[in-house]
Amino acid sequence: MVDSLSLKSEVAAPAPAPAPKRGRGRPRPTVRSRREAWTAHLFLAPWFLGLFLITVGPIVASLYLSFTDYSLLDEAKWVGLDNYVKMFTEDPRFWASLKVTTIYVVVSVPLQLGFALALALLLDRGLRGLSFYRSIYYLPSLLGGSVAIAILWRKIFGADGLVNAVLALFGIQGTSYVNNPDTALGTLILLHVWTFGAPMVIFLAGLRQIPSSYYEAASIDGAGAVQQFRSVTLPLLTPIIFFNLVLEVIKSFQSFTQSFIVSNGTGGPSDSTLFYTLYLYSKGFKEYEMGYASAMAWVLVIIIAGLTGVNFLASKYWVFYGDSK
Amino acid sequence: MRSLKTAALLAAAAMTLAACGSGDGGTAEGDGKVKLRFSYWGSDARQKLTEQAIAAFEKKNPTIDVVGEFSDWPSYYESLATKVAANDAPDVMTLEIRGLAEYAGRGALADLTGKVNVADLDQQVLSTGSFGGKQYAIPTGVNVMGVIVNKAVLDKAGEELPDDKTWTWDDYIKLSEKITKAGDGSTFGTEYTFNQVYLSMFAAQRGEKFYNNGKIGVTPETIKAWWANFDQLIKTKGSPDAAKMAEIAAAGVEQSLIGTNKGALGMWWSNQLGTLSKVSGSELTMLRLPKAEGASTHGMFLQPAMHWTASSKTEHPAEAQKFIDYLVNDPEAAGILLSDRGLPINSKVLATVKDKLPPADQQVLAFVDSIKSELATAEVPPKGGSKMEDIVRRYSEAVTSGQQSADDAATELLNAANAAIAG
Repeated sequence: MVDSLSLKSEVAAPAPAPAPKRGRGRPRPTVRSRREAWTAHLFLAPWFLGLFLITVGPIVASLYLSFTDYSLLDEAKWVGLDNYVKMFTEDPRFWASLKVTTIYVVVSVPLQLGFALALALLLDRGLRGLSFYRSIYYLPSLLGGSVAIAILWRKIFGADGLVNAVLALFGIQGTSYVNNPDTALGTLILLHVWTFGAPMVIFLAGLRQIPSSYYEAASIDGAGAVQQFRSVTLPLLTPIIFFNLVLEVIKSFQSFTQSFIVSNGTGGPSDSTLFYTLYLYSKGFKEYEMGYASAMAWVLVIIIAGLTGVNFLASKYWVFYGDSK
Repeated sequence: MRSLKTAALLAAAAMTLAACGSGDGGTAEGDGKVKLRFSYWGSDARQKLTEQAIAAFEKKNPTIDVVGEFSDWPSYYESLATKVAANDAPDVMTLEIRGLAEYAGRGALADLTGKVNVADLDQQVLSTGSFGGKQYAIPTGVNVMGVIVNKAVLDKAGEELPDDKTWTWDDYIKLSEKITKAGDGSTFGTEYTFNQVYLSMFAAQRGEKFYNNGKIGVTPETIKAWWANFDQLIKTKGSPDAAKMAEIAAAGVEQSLIGTNKGALGMWWSNQLGTLSKVSGSELTMLRLPKAEGASTHGMFLQPAMHWTASSKTEHPAEAQKFIDYLVNDPEAAGILLSDRGLPINSKVLATVKDKLPPADQQVLAFVDSIKSELATAEVPPKGGSKMEDIVRRYSEAVTSGQQSADDAATELLNAANAAIAG
């Protein structure tokens, strides 16, 4: 989908867009245009209503709740910054969940992107049946967050699962990987890496954007495949890598389903798969501390915003936009 | 801010209603019937029985329309708490003893003292439904936790049924080891559980109460001794290792070692005897818990299976009380529900349904009767008590899988447990 679009844009010569009139201000609204605006607003209204009632309302409410002691079962009591103070000073599980999530993000995102890029490069070599492979590899991205796959994962990495069945052929006796604190997080990382399809498709589109004349010029100058990859492909692909990186960091920081299902909602064994969002959920709905859970949600927002900000700042040093230099 | 909160809660309520498919609107129906909402969890089989009981109640009380709000176990408390938060609590709610203080302590439950006839109920068990001197809950029935033995596996290993009046933890571990050794590698002597109730019985044998005056009354030594038993079982291969055991525990009753005839011993609630007998097809027996050396008690107690409660916000308190009264006192209800929610605690009702009980439950009844004089009564956990199961399991996992030393884990467990009930 994505790259067929981009192919088109490459083929079609940039149409001379009608130059917009600048500076002189907008034409005065006529009665008709005003009526049209009203109609537009009317059509948008149901969506806005949904946005405010279901999204913005609860978001603002959760900010208020984050300053309260709220059990769900009785009234919220204002406690000021207590939840935040408690989180940072006397809750070891908060730090444990942050650590687990950070390891998960730091390990799985680069692995996943590396894998996606490698496969995109492979598929880009004019393989026959490209669209078939593309669909096959994209499939896990659609399924990866689902409950069914998480259950499948339990089976594959269980004591009598597929992995151990294969190992048994070589006389190795494995353990239950999802129930072993040393390996449980690893199985979840593997699950995330497996969903490399989405970034792969975006990489493929990016690779198609690189004009073949660059490669021709490079090979005339005597650059080999490796040199071409390092000096042409990679720099021109950095905006795409950056895009994928930002997206995947945000997404994987919010991972929930995998850990929830694979660990039966406990984050176990012994908190080794306690994702931040899973802890937040269990605080809010299982331990009757919705105020605390709300505070955790806001800390997560700040963490993700901070990371994204850092990502953007750092991008100045490594992301190459062909037209800006 | 208040209106924002209300808006958010309304949104949450709307979603819950949509999710449960129970959004029929107001509580008074056009035909003049009073609509009573009743929430409970369980299996399909339980849902069928409960619907039958509801139909029988409605027949006797044509002006009341009881709407069952059924959910599976894992999502029950989440959806119930959300309904209560949205001021949309069901009129009659099923809770457990560990949820009693959470709900009653926050004013979510109606006081049922004097509102439901409790004259024929076991007064000792009835006390497990009271909190702060008020009867907020009526127990649905009782269970007891003990050792369930799969006799087929035991016989195959050539071992005798132990004398449960005298057996000690050492006997239990040694027997487990022997059974595993006698098998072909796929059978185990015992499967263990990190159930907090197990720990509190173990502690009771050593004269310690789990909750003691607003604190955890269990000493670090007791917790470590409890863990040492698991370590010993794993080391001698009397039971599977920690990872494998965690997997079996997560798979549920049907996939348990006893249920699949791959294990001889295990700690179970008495109401699981029926399911275990059915899935294993073997003869099972219930035994007393092994004792600590020189202990005067097995530490076992009668646990209310569930509690019937009414919402403090209900618009139909009289009808809610009537329904609860029917469930605990009417032989007709008991004749339908039998021991699905524990053995009935109404002596008169029990006498009428005794012969109708399935064989496994008659067996449990006989077992409970035979040890009745030794049984204590369950304690109502304080507010925050519902966190205890997770805390105990978490640190037990860490210790048995070798992630943490028993010393550190015992200290941290007690800190976490005390913090949970302090707040």
